[in-house]
Amino acid sequence: MTVLAALEPVAGSSAADAFGLTTVDVDASAWPDAVGVAARAGATYLDFLTAYDDGDRIAVVAHVMTPDAGQRVLLRTWVAADDPELASVTSVHRGADWHERETHEMFGVRFVGHPGLRPLLLPLDVPTTPLRKAVLLDARLAVAWPGDKDPSDSEGRPRRRVPPPGVPADHVPPPRPA
Amino acid sequence: MTPRPPRARGVIGLDEAKCTVCMLCVRECPDWCIDIDAHVETLPPDEQNRRPRSVNVLDRFAVDYGLCMYCGICVEVCPFDALHWSPVAEYAEPTRSALVHEGDRLAQWEATAPEPAALDERAVAVDPGPRRRA
Repeated sequence: MTVLAALEPVAGSSAADAFGLTTVDVDASAWPDAVGVAARAGATYLDFLTAYDDGDRIAVVAHVMTPDAGQRVLLRTWVAADDPELASVTSVHRGADWHERETHEMFGVRFVGHPGLRPLLLPLDVPTTPLRKAVLLDARLAVAWPGDKDPSDSEGRPRRRVPPPGVPADHVPPPRPA
Repeated sequence: MTPRPPRARGVIGLDEAKCTVCMLCVRECPDWCIDIDAHVETLPPDEQNRRPRSVNVLDRFAVDYGLCMYCGICVEVCPFDALHWSPVAEYAEPTRSALVHEGDRLAQWEATAPEPAALDERAVAVDPGPRRRA
């Protein structure tokens, strides 16, 4: 039985193909089950587990494949952005430990049942979840944007203020060093 | 070692004569690694332009290769093909600041950029004709 066929009862019909990879959407409550079903059907290799910010919800994705890479599936589930909580899959894939730690520090997703959700890459005292779209990069705010210059103005000031990409239009930049 | 393909993204070269200081590359750069300084000069009228013209003159074009992520967006957006990829990748430096390449080094890289791919045989060369009056 293929991995996809095994996933059918868990996932229902919400599978989509893109770039040769099938994405299977599963309900957040069925997340560890779906990963377990895929593993028992042969997809025993967890390639990666990560997330992406989609506004009011966060998608958690896991790419699993058979060891010979003959079959691969992208499992995806959604959690609310204001209270992202999901069951850990470390009981299925021990190697998901670091992936979930990284997803936790970068997106703030709490993995229930994880053996220790310490930050993996960030220092312990970072108060934000940097890969959430609402979080502004400090460097973008502190450094002057080189695109702010306008050569047609004799004093180098821009005629029309264009906010740099990734910075909201109402942000007031810090004064330029003289 | 496998030889590097001629169109490898090693470093970006600048043909300064083609740059019109439109700032597109600076504003499109996702990690803000290009810095341009320029000023405006007024050219007197000539046969083609009856009124004096203002032109942007480039003072400084610098790429910080410590920030560059080699996406090539600047090369793509340049409307006058002033930026080109070169396969040269041997420019490791002991300090962070030495990775900021100023115009002289960018010109050096430009000299190592491969010729553009040949036109399709059915392509027709178009003579742009005399410049339009402003």
